[in-house]
Amino acid sequence: MRFPSPEWFNAVAAVFNADDRYRGAGGGQSFCRFGVIVGDDIVVVTMDGHECSGAETVDRSSLTDVDFYLEMPRSQWLAMLKDIATNGRATLNHTLNTIDLDLDEGLSKSIHGDQYREDLFFRYNQTLQFLFDASARVQTDFGAST
Amino acid sequence: MADQHPPKYGTVARSNQWGTRVKPNKHGLRLGDINVGVYGEIPDRWEDQTRNPRGAIAKKGVPPLGYAIRDKADLWADCAADLYEEAIQRRFASATDVPWHTIKPLPDVLERSICQVLTELCQYANCDIEVISQWQHQMAYGYHEVKQFLATATFDATRMYETFRKRALCNGGGLGLEGPGEINRMILESRGGWSETVTYLLLMRGSYMQTMLRYLERYAQNDAERSIYRFALEAKARQITYGLDHLRYSIAHDDDRRTVMQMLFFIGDRVWARELGDHVLREALSIIFAGGLEDAPTEGNATYNRMMRDFMNEYLGICEWLGVKRDLATLPGRMSQFVIAAAG
Repeated sequence: MRFPSPEWFNAVAAVFNADDRYRGAGGGQSFCRFGVIVGDDIVVVTMDGHECSGAETVDRSSLTDVDFYLEMPRSQWLAMLKDIATNGRATLNHTLNTIDLDLDEGLSKSIHGDQYREDLFFRYNQTLQFLFDASARVQTDFGAST
Repeated sequence: MADQHPPKYGTVARSNQWGTRVKPNKHGLRLGDINVGVYGEIPDRWEDQTRNPRGAIAKKGVPPLGYAIRDKADLWADCAADLYEEAIQRRFASATDVPWHTIKPLPDVLERSICQVLTELCQYANCDIEVISQWQHQMAYGYHEVKQFLATATFDATRMYETFRKRALCNGGGLGLEGPGEINRMILESRGGWSETVTYLLLMRGSYMQTMLRYLERYAQNDAERSIYRFALEAKARQITYGLDHLRYSIAHDDDRRTVMQMLFFIGDRVWARELGDHVLREALSIIFAGGLEDAPTEGNATYNRMMRDFMNEYLGICEWLGVKRDLATLPGRMSQFVIAAAG
């Protein structure tokens, strides 16, 4: 499945939603909408309680409605997902927190600048990491650029 | 045996609002869900001086307990009930949730540095416990959502203390030097009200600790440390969220609050700058960031400076978001150097 399509996120969500291990050890319910930007592709993902409840393609103007969005070059997205696919979860240099620190502009951003909503990235950090880690069990089409 | 009158049971049926039937939704029955009818009426001032639960019929003649914080503007945050649920759900048992087996022997200088940082983080956590609990009992019961959330914050701090200590004592090292503790003392001795303490504890030191935890996760040596710092990061983020939401509410309901906070930051910055003069923590972090002693003065120190720039951006960003004007020219040099570096 092609990353970052809604189909890909729905497939990841199916794995994530069905695995109780993602609900403990720092995981838990989360309530937010966040964007994922990969080049011109923008997908908005909805987290509702213990579930990732949906993903949809949007245009850039819709980003004003999300709590935060994650943006980095396609090559770095693919490096992160390949690391997850290889190891079953993100290892040191590919966790969301590490990437956020390493990128000059950061990984997590917002248009509204609302500190309260931006902080959801940290409050739900483990759950968001678990969500992307669940992609290890989804067949990902990394595309020709890899 | 004393005479006993037969019970009449008449008083049992008394209630301000009987017949309340809140149903659980797909997320369960959460604290905020039961704020219905009289039970959800949260006044701007809580006049009752007893432990009377909100919505219950007050009993006459109960001696007052002397709660000092009875104005909503002095403690309220709309998100408190949600944060309480979040903290309960994201609970963490360090005995079993940390993959302790992933910790392997490290070079002595690195282990010493990790233990030094953890020693000071234990002090931070201990300060959190003492400060929050010393204010909590002064808060009126009408605002139970805040009291309950702060109880989780205290418990999160105890788990941080426990977990940091465990990491320090499990790999051939031990606790290091006690930190200077000037910030801890400033927070402990802030007496101008809970909002003042929130400013220092949750925004000023909270954002600093959150930034440090993010870097420690980034430069962790193993999965155990990574999970420790991530747990602490989430807990600290909840506290900061409460702090932000409370101060925003407080500023909206108290004309003078913003100006008071401006002065608090001005005072706090000076204490902060003194503490930053202590080289022990800076050197220990530089060694951790460099993965050893050799590159600590160069690579490690550069990463430390980056961490401080991130902290200052976060700290000043919070002030800006709250509408608290800061005159950067008045920042102590030990802080402003990181703001200038960020601008460059």
